[in-house]
Amino acid sequence: MDMDMDMDMDTKKKCTRFFINDNMDVLIEILKRLDEKSIGVAACVCRLWCALTRNDALWEHLCFRQLSPPREGVRTVVAALGGYRRLYTLCVKPVLTRLGKRKDMWTTHEVDLSLSLFCVDYYERLFLAGAATPPSSLIFLCKAG
Amino acid sequence: MKRDHMNPENFSSSSSTTPNSMDAGVDELFAVLGYNVKSSDMAEVAHQLERLEEVMATVHHDAALSDDTVHYNPSDLASWLGSMISEFDSSSNPFLHSDFGSDLISIPGKALYPKSNPPQPKKLKSTPPMPATPLLLIDSQENGVRLVHTLMACAEAVQQEDFKLAEALVKNIGFLAVSQPGAMRKVATYFAEALARRIYKLYPPNHQDSAFNDLLQMHFYETCPYLKFAHFTANQAILEAFAGKTRVHVIDFSMKQGMQWPALLQALALRPGGPPSFRLTGIGPPSHEETDHLQEVGWRLAQLAESINVEFEYRGFVASSLADLDAAMFEIREGETVAVNSIFELHQLLARPGAIEKVLQVVSKLKPEILTVVEQEANHNGSVFLDRFTESLHYYSTLFDSLESCGGGEEGVSVQDKVMSEVYLGRQVCNVVACEGVERVERHETLAQWKIRFGSCGLEGVNLGSNTYKQASMLLALFAGGDGYRVDENNGCLMLGWHTRPLIATSAWKLTT
Repeated sequence: MDMDMDMDMDTKKKCTRFFINDNMDVLIEILKRLDEKSIGVAACVCRLWCALTRNDALWEHLCFRQLSPPREGVRTVVAALGGYRRLYTLCVKPVLTRLGKRKDMWTTHEVDLSLSLFCVDYYERLFLAGAATPPSSLIFLCKAG
Repeated sequence: MKRDHMNPENFSSSSSTTPNSMDAGVDELFAVLGYNVKSSDMAEVAHQLERLEEVMATVHHDAALSDDTVHYNPSDLASWLGSMISEFDSSSNPFLHSDFGSDLISIPGKALYPKSNPPQPKKLKSTPPMPATPLLLIDSQENGVRLVHTLMACAEAVQQEDFKLAEALVKNIGFLAVSQPGAMRKVATYFAEALARRIYKLYPPNHQDSAFNDLLQMHFYETCPYLKFAHFTANQAILEAFAGKTRVHVIDFSMKQGMQWPALLQALALRPGGPPSFRLTGIGPPSHEETDHLQEVGWRLAQLAESINVEFEYRGFVASSLADLDAAMFEIREGETVAVNSIFELHQLLARPGAIEKVLQVVSKLKPEILTVVEQEANHNGSVFLDRFTESLHYYSTLFDSLESCGGGEEGVSVQDKVMSEVYLGRQVCNVVACEGVERVERHETLAQWKIRFGSCGLEGVNLGSNTYKQASMLLALFAGGDGYRVDENNGCLMLGWHTRPLIATSAWKLTT
């Protein structure tokens, strides 16, 4: 990375410290590799980190990291339906939990199912826009009392 | 159960024809409840009941607990009463108030009144004085069996048009149902209500309120997997049929809230090569409200399609019956690939002669690439009432059982959702049992029967692929109680069932070339 090379030359000249907050792309790369819980912790560090954890690219990575190459067009669709962070929280995480799977066992079938459920939820919200009742097509994913 | 007058003249000792009576001369109505009382003994039994009441009324409320309790079987009512009275007469000790919450209620016996040292008296919570009815031994499991027998006996009485007997039996069902836990109680209550309606000819009002029906179905959609399974499997079949096509047209016989289509639109948006231009025609029943419900649904779907960049066109048709439609209405365009979808709609057409054939003819004229059908997997359309009753009792018992596993806790599926789902199913029960003729629209038939019908209209089956099976299995695993649900493949069709009983079947059809 360009930043790294600059820093190397700088450190040869003088012993300056490396502020991660000055190098947001490095920071984002690191945050991308975290799991959801760690991202939550990272969000509590400072305002900058909090803002960065809301970056949808992070959550895209969390959702579909091990499925490479990423499918064409998924990003636009997910963005239109509410974003990857929402997709993860509403669908991906509960589906994974219910199926008792680890993220590295994610296959296209789980992806398709999550996307479908996500879309149904979006549609339901369209219907209920402004109504008092919350959308409920995904309540079956919640832990039973 | 208490008779108003313990007068022997009021008892009718007709020759018993119920299956429960072992010997001639046993009172029918008691026999149904499980008590063998000879009609000739009725006066004596009545007298003994009165004596027992008198004796019990003079007893103290504080009780002495004993480690041993003796249970008497009151089936032979006469001798049971005799032993009870002699117990009370032999000592003046207080007796145990039972805990009516438990399944088995202990009746004090000899062990409670030892002749030698009385046991250490322990204070019991003082309970209010018991109502003046005899103590009954209530065994919930035995009552469950009696409940089913009573239901069957009542249905048989209705079949034979012995409405006097049926009336007496249907009253008992309610009494027995109360002692049952969960699903059994609910099923019995709905079937009892339906039988009562049939007996008293208080037919249920024709459920024209489509808005309320839709609401009930939404709760059913949220609570258990049947509708989601239907939508996902049908969508997968349609998606595969639309592979490589650029202009597609879906005709939905079961539009309702349009909950099936967002997932298909999303899948089409993400398919390799991009989405086709999508046209949807929705059929719905007439609405009693001012708002045009069908148009609203179409508008929402259009919004969704626009967000995900799928070219979308919508048209809604109002029809009180699918048989009112004809092929020309749909204005199929050149080069358009057509799919027809029907979720739990076709069986309603069997209520009018000729309707199903007409609709299938219309479907053939549309030359669809695929026809997706989801129907209940049961035969509730037999010509004999008793057969229909038996079949539907088993079917809905299984369905209600599966509902019990669906949560009802604080998080997730609420009790209200479950109750609404039960009302939704209860309406179907009412229709199957209480209605006849054109009113009886819940004329479910099995996949095998539908296959014959479709075959005679020039339609042959299309195999649902392994992708559909995998997606369906995964979907079911997401539901609480997921272990109980089973997806089975049956000649290229998929069936969703609870444990060993298949409940709904998804199938796909195309015109035989």
